[in-house]
Amino acid sequence: MLIGIDVGGTTTDAVLIDEGKVIKTSKVPTDHDHLLECLMGALDEVVREVPTDKIERVVLSTTLITNLIAEGKADPVALIMEPGPGMNPENLALEGEIRIVRGAIDYRGREIQPLDEDQVEKAAAAISERGYRKVAVVSKFGQRNHSHEERMRKIVLRTNPEIQVEMGHQASGRLNFPRRAATAMLKVASQDKYRQFAEQIAEAVSKRDIAAPIYILKADGGTLPLETSVEHPVETIFSGPAASTMGVLALTPPDQTSVVVDIGGTTTDLALILDGVPLISSDGARVDSQLTHIRAFAVKSVALGGDSRVRAAGDEVTLGPERAGPAFCLGGPEPTPTDAMRLLNLISIGERALAEVAMANLGQDLGCSAGEAAQKVVDAAVEKLLSEIEAMFLAWELEPAYRVWEILQKEKIRPQNVVGVGGGSLGLVPLVAERLGVEGIIPEDAAVANAIGAAVARPTLTLTFRADTDRGFYTVAEDGTTGEIRDKKFGQKEAEALAKRLIVERAERMGISEYASEAEVTSSEVFNMVRGWSTSGRILDVSMQIPAGLIPEWTGGGRR
Amino acid sequence: MRNYREENKDRARKMGLIFFPAFDWAITPTHPEREERLLYTRDQIFEEGLMDLPEVEEYKPRLADYKDIARVHFCIPSAESLVTEAHLIAAGSTLVLADAYMKGEITNAFALVRPPGHHSMRVAHGNRGFCNVNNEAIMVEYIRRKYGIRRVAIIDTDVHHGDGTQEIFYHDPDVLFISFHQDGRTLYPGSGFVDEQGGPKAMGRTINIPLPPETPDEGIHYVLEELVLPILKDFRPQLVVNSAGQDNHYTDPLANMRFSAQGYAKLNEMLAPDIAVLEGGYAIETALPYVNCGIILAMAGLDYSNVREPDYHPGRFSMSRTMEANIVSTVEYLQGIWEAREELTAKAVERAGPFFRRHKDIFYDTDGIREKQTESVKMCPDKSCPGYMTIDTDAARGYGHSESGFGVFVPLFACKRCREEGREEYEAHKTDSRYNYIFFQDKNADDFRLYSTRMHNERVY
Repeated sequence: MLIGIDVGGTTTDAVLIDEGKVIKTSKVPTDHDHLLECLMGALDEVVREVPTDKIERVVLSTTLITNLIAEGKADPVALIMEPGPGMNPENLALEGEIRIVRGAIDYRGREIQPLDEDQVEKAAAAISERGYRKVAVVSKFGQRNHSHEERMRKIVLRTNPEIQVEMGHQASGRLNFPRRAATAMLKVASQDKYRQFAEQIAEAVSKRDIAAPIYILKADGGTLPLETSVEHPVETIFSGPAASTMGVLALTPPDQTSVVVDIGGTTTDLALILDGVPLISSDGARVDSQLTHIRAFAVKSVALGGDSRVRAAGDEVTLGPERAGPAFCLGGPEPTPTDAMRLLNLISIGERALAEVAMANLGQDLGCSAGEAAQKVVDAAVEKLLSEIEAMFLAWELEPAYRVWEILQKEKIRPQNVVGVGGGSLGLVPLVAERLGVEGIIPEDAAVANAIGAAVARPTLTLTFRADTDRGFYTVAEDGTTGEIRDKKFGQKEAEALAKRLIVERAERMGISEYASEAEVTSSEVFNMVRGWSTSGRILDVSMQIPAGLIPEWTGGGRR
Repeated sequence: MRNYREENKDRARKMGLIFFPAFDWAITPTHPEREERLLYTRDQIFEEGLMDLPEVEEYKPRLADYKDIARVHFCIPSAESLVTEAHLIAAGSTLVLADAYMKGEITNAFALVRPPGHHSMRVAHGNRGFCNVNNEAIMVEYIRRKYGIRRVAIIDTDVHHGDGTQEIFYHDPDVLFISFHQDGRTLYPGSGFVDEQGGPKAMGRTINIPLPPETPDEGIHYVLEELVLPILKDFRPQLVVNSAGQDNHYTDPLANMRFSAQGYAKLNEMLAPDIAVLEGGYAIETALPYVNCGIILAMAGLDYSNVREPDYHPGRFSMSRTMEANIVSTVEYLQGIWEAREELTAKAVERAGPFFRRHKDIFYDTDGIREKQTESVKMCPDKSCPGYMTIDTDAARGYGHSESGFGVFVPLFACKRCREEGREEYEAHKTDSRYNYIFFQDKNADDFRLYSTRMHNERVY
């Protein structure tokens, strides 16, 4: 039996799955100050009368990190930064206590200016003095040569051993140094509170005699064992939208192209599944105002929901962006799209008579009947969703590309299905699908799709390998692993073999080694380095990944 | 006449950028124009996070159409056989940015793309100086056709003379072509001297500024300040294009100048081009990552003072007295040419008679082709008409094999009579068996035709 629990903005949902079927569900209101209690409340309801030894897996998606950051409750962090030559570091969009030090590493990991250790010492003393206990030390191109970051860390610890130091290359090794700095800062800012939370969960679950492994869902739709997730707290941000996309993946036939439409009260989240694989954002996630390296699904949030404020503007209606409160037909103060859908019998929740009152009022402003007003509201909502969906596909098509083959192969793709989850989707998704001329699907278990998605998601893993045979070393972007390459003839075959070995090791460290064999090479490139008139070495780039997907135990959604 | 340059000036600042390093394309594995060329530039500009800046908008390239190429080039045996997809993408990138600029989505743009183009001439038999087709010319003619602008300035800042671009616009009085470069007596392609000043009807619209080897930032900024900017002010172009080579750099392996990343950034700030298009530059580690970072920051209106090469310090290079005197006298001479352009034009037209003719020998270094051309331009009595042109070409590849062609070119702003005569010339030559290919280009009708005298078929673009 599989258990999935999704902590959403309003409710916390849990499902119990047995042999590809959802056999039990529960919903409790989310209390953001008592997340653990919500999780356990939802869990207790689905496991009641279930023998705990039958439970094979528990997966959680949580808003903990999202809330910590949004509410400014994460720990304060100072940054010591070695920017080297390039953009003026004063212009970087980074917030907080930032100290800039001299020193530089170049794009191939060569030291081009020694680190000014005196400056680091002074910065560390000042930071400690100001009461910071968390520090990120980040060097431009630090992922290609850690030595300056290691040195900065030592100096900070020497100044104050109680300070927790995060190095940029360990937060991410991808190119983009401001994002790396932001990611490292978020990581160290949220780590303590996240660890505390994870320990509480582990304890609460074990108290219930559940010995099954516990996983946490990441923003890229992959699961991570709870105990290793404490090393990667920020990757669990946005696990909610990831859960709903994974839910749709689970509840629709395999290998199809679908638009996921998750309509809530205030907003609608749109995501794409292309040939059975959820689309990952090519840049990292935006957290608050900060751009990061966190791998996340390309989810677009549209300010339109069942409770959006509806206003007359001449004989047209405007929707949102703010929430009007609950729908009028559910006792709320103002007309909403839910009222329009209720009046047109697209949905059956709420009092139809109240919906009629709401739409008649709106009709007065518009100079039309209640029915016509409702139609206008629904039409406006459908139009808005259609244009956002089109824009999403366009944005995907127009993503920059750096190789000839990428430009030639990217074709125009349009969806086979529009799949609705979330409260408001029942009324609107069939209309959107009809306009697109594709199938509209509201899965049977749409109301708990998020929890299902969490329950059946498998781990994901990436590995970005770069070897520089001229300088004789390789690096792994994700965790800053480096090693020597002595063989001057090291070529593409050797690079791919080494990358495969490294991803297996990485999977072991993450506690997901049983999935390591699923890893595939997504790109492999060789650059001959020519100096003078002869080849002096090669740069080899290999990318591997285990993409988001479902565990083999899941047989629902048309899979047998 | 609408001046897009003026209109775009006051918009909220946003630069458009296409970065297309063509990581899967090379002339040959060890050629300077290979996959690795922009690898470290990619590392530097991505590591800086430049694509995340609100002042920078990254666009995706597209393929140019063969018609866009035929609007500029007479390709022999055909555009389809001469250009690879990489060339279509490099040219197409400039068109994406051109559209974004002309529609006002961006205030300026940089096509950081390869392969380059500025050595490609009107007639193209193969690859010259690493170039097959001329990206800037394709873009300029696309913009003039689509958006109805007329006056364009192209400033070639590559270390090599932009001989291809010069040749394409040599007789066009509405296109100002200015190239500064290392003296042609010391560097490929061995042209670009002060006496190359434009065709009879466009005298002074080609300005060549040969500079002594080892000219540093100071020298190039002097040329810009004293000569280029004042000429631009006079000419009042509707569009300014920087044909932006990066091989004036002090570490470039193929040339001998002393320009720095700071120098390049400042150049772009001073020149304020509407669209810059990458040309050469082969110091792929020591120059390009820093130069490109500097240019992007300068064009985005951001502080570039922290961009510097590891071994650079201000004052590292200075000018000798002799060098300074040399540059000053070149600048003074060319100021005179610019001032006298109208008289020079009148005299040259008078001297030319009814047709201006010249012979050219063109060498394609990359492909080893020797071409002989005779160019003939009608000195149309209509003063505002540049006159139609014909080119008789014969190109020998190696020994024994040769291809010949006859091209008729009717400019965008040609008079009715020239358009008719041009078409007659084309029709008449279709039966001329001395040539393998006959080409017709009527820019006004946007009609381009290639006729094979052996196959007796016509391809209409």
